[in-house]
Amino acid sequence: MNRIFSFFSGPASIAMYTYREGIRKKVLIGFLVLSLLVIFGSSFISSFLDPTTETDINLKLIKDICVTAIAIFGALITIYISASVVPGEVENKVIYTILSKPVRRIQYLMGKFLGAQLIIIVNLLLMGMLFFMALYLRQGVMPTLLLWSLLLTYFQFVIISAFTFALSCAASSPLVPTVGGLFLYITGNLTEYLKDVEHRAGQTGQMLDKIIGDIASGLYAILPNLQNFSLSTQIVTGQPNDPPADVLIPNLILYGMVYGLAGFACAYLVFWRKEV
Amino acid sequence: MSALSKNIQRTIIIAFIIGTLAIGAVLNLHLRHLRQSEAFYRWILAFAVNERLFQEDRAVDADFDLFYQCAEVVDTLPEMTGLIPPKDESNTAPISALSVIASDYTHDKELWNFARSKEAAPLREEFLSLVRERKLRFAQDIQYAEAQAGGVNLFNFFFGFRKVAANFVWLEVDRYWHQGNTYRMITLMRTCVALDPQFIDAYLIGAWHLAYNATARMPDTPWPLREWHAKYEKCLGEKERFYYVAVDFLKDGIRKNSRNSKLYFDLGFSIYKQKLKDYPNAVKYLAEAVHFPHEQYVPRQLFLCLELNGQYEESLVGWKDYAARYPDNPVVQEVAPRFIARNEGFILEKLASNLRKKAREAGDQEEAERLNNEASDLWEQARAVWSSINDPFGEGRKMRMEALDMREEGRHLEAVAYLDKARWEASDLFDDFSNLIIEIKQEAGIPLTISEKKAVIRESEAGICAGMPEDEIEKRSQAAQELDAAN
Repeated sequence: MNRIFSFFSGPASIAMYTYREGIRKKVLIGFLVLSLLVIFGSSFISSFLDPTTETDINLKLIKDICVTAIAIFGALITIYISASVVPGEVENKVIYTILSKPVRRIQYLMGKFLGAQLIIIVNLLLMGMLFFMALYLRQGVMPTLLLWSLLLTYFQFVIISAFTFALSCAASSPLVPTVGGLFLYITGNLTEYLKDVEHRAGQTGQMLDKIIGDIASGLYAILPNLQNFSLSTQIVTGQPNDPPADVLIPNLILYGMVYGLAGFACAYLVFWRKEV
Repeated sequence: MSALSKNIQRTIIIAFIIGTLAIGAVLNLHLRHLRQSEAFYRWILAFAVNERLFQEDRAVDADFDLFYQCAEVVDTLPEMTGLIPPKDESNTAPISALSVIASDYTHDKELWNFARSKEAAPLREEFLSLVRERKLRFAQDIQYAEAQAGGVNLFNFFFGFRKVAANFVWLEVDRYWHQGNTYRMITLMRTCVALDPQFIDAYLIGAWHLAYNATARMPDTPWPLREWHAKYEKCLGEKERFYYVAVDFLKDGIRKNSRNSKLYFDLGFSIYKQKLKDYPNAVKYLAEAVHFPHEQYVPRQLFLCLELNGQYEESLVGWKDYAARYPDNPVVQEVAPRFIARNEGFILEKLASNLRKKAREAGDQEEAERLNNEASDLWEQARAVWSSINDPFGEGRKMRMEALDMREEGRHLEAVAYLDKARWEASDLFDDFSNLIIEIKQEAGIPLTISEKKAVIRESEAGICAGMPEDEIEKRSQAAQELDAAN
């Protein structure tokens, strides 16, 4: 028990330190302020609508804009923070001081990754809280479906974060992994496209065409499909107790965790033999 | 660390990555299966509601074939057949068991289990293949189905942002409304719901704009200017066409959101009751609206429409149950007793009229007298009920009864004169009294006025309009000639 505790105490300290360091970053604060402004501003967009009609459109406008703002700014924050935690320390050489202490690389990585997750969660909670308040003040009932939506959004971010983190472990500056992270986010949302390639392959009857189809099929099976998380948008405006949504939510959480773990393992594989 | 141990460690990490990716791939497959099943499930709901409620929009196509294959499979599954309620003999419309199951939202879980079951796997595959070929009418806008269909576009990336786009399109609709650009507005409204098929308010407000605001300053189209619409089997002018466009718009919304009571309510109340005065359809959709979680005022409108449709017994039972359900609601306790009395009055009047009719038909003099006495008792009870209501409607009904008494005694001219005066005193019953005047005049052979003749022709739908099929023209012309001869 003691050994387990001592193994995790190191990463916990690093995570707290990473969190304190990361939360002060100006770019991050900029993204957060922008997202909060958009969420706050969504309440005023209803002024464009006819004030004489009593409808729920105002509420829908707020919901859709806020969910989208959280998805976009949340993804940007996730990518930025996951891309910068390790290269930042390589740049300012703090990593040498840490790794010269009795800290194993896996502990260091775990600490960094958990610290990044802490920052993402705090930012998501801040955005979610404002959104939650905006909805609660409008409709007067607790928007509980929003909590499920936020949870799903977080698990989508876990996947993006883990793979961006893996890229950042191979890079010496945050720029490359940031671009890589954005690429991952976009391609992750376009995974469905691979299925289209698979369906269209084989039409010419050429060998190469068939191989491309098989590759697309293989990639479609292995690569994480971020579109699965579009349920987070759907459930905010949907009906409660929707049977498909009830089944999909736990599956998506597990999905996020598994790919998060795969991304972290990739990060360890890269960082394990890295010359620092 | 030795080179061997490093290699082992690396192998373990790589194996771990491959393992997690393999688990991820399995989960990917499972999620794909769930999403495909969801698209299939939503399509079943859309088709079932179309089959059950919109019989006029039935066509034998790919949707129809696939749905009936699904219905056949459902018939073989004991867990599904157990959900089918005993057959309602009064309902003669041929509806599949699957549609009956889908009509109750408490069966959604079972329906969802069917949609993702092994038994439904070949049907699901066929569904997806038809979706890819864009052959299914009711899967065009089901979001997951569209995603599954793929296509070389950036749709998948913007999947989540379509709802935001729909909101901005709606802001444009609102702007066009204020500018009076009705025709532009309609196109954009359609774009809006195509972007976000779950945008309930777009359907509701869109239909309201179409049926109320767009037609607010339009006069009723004169009969000769109307055109035949085969789809609705009616002669419609520009104004009347807007009502039916609103009906279609709401029906589209219902297919895509079959569990939302607001859409059924607006179709039944705002359009069929208020605008088209089509009470059977109003009852049909309001009865659907109360099946789903609804506002407190929804049943009240259903009971009102039942009354207007002549279903007094159902309306009475409904009002009594409603009053018992909300004993602490002052509005309910004020309104319900009045309507309970109204329906009791109607039922008594109806029973009395039936007994009088039987008396007239009875061969035996004694039997006829007994029936007439019974009828008179009921008639007096009805009069007492109307007196107890003590409102303009009750007074109007008493006047009506008075006029009917005069008619019974053969004092036709007196009855007509009485009703002519009464219709200005009880404005709620103006149309009813006007129709009764026509009826009495026709019965007594008193000539109709020009406006009354026109009303008779209108009522009998003997009007002929441009584009009407030959057989329809013949049928209506014959009806008009018969009426003319009768007058």
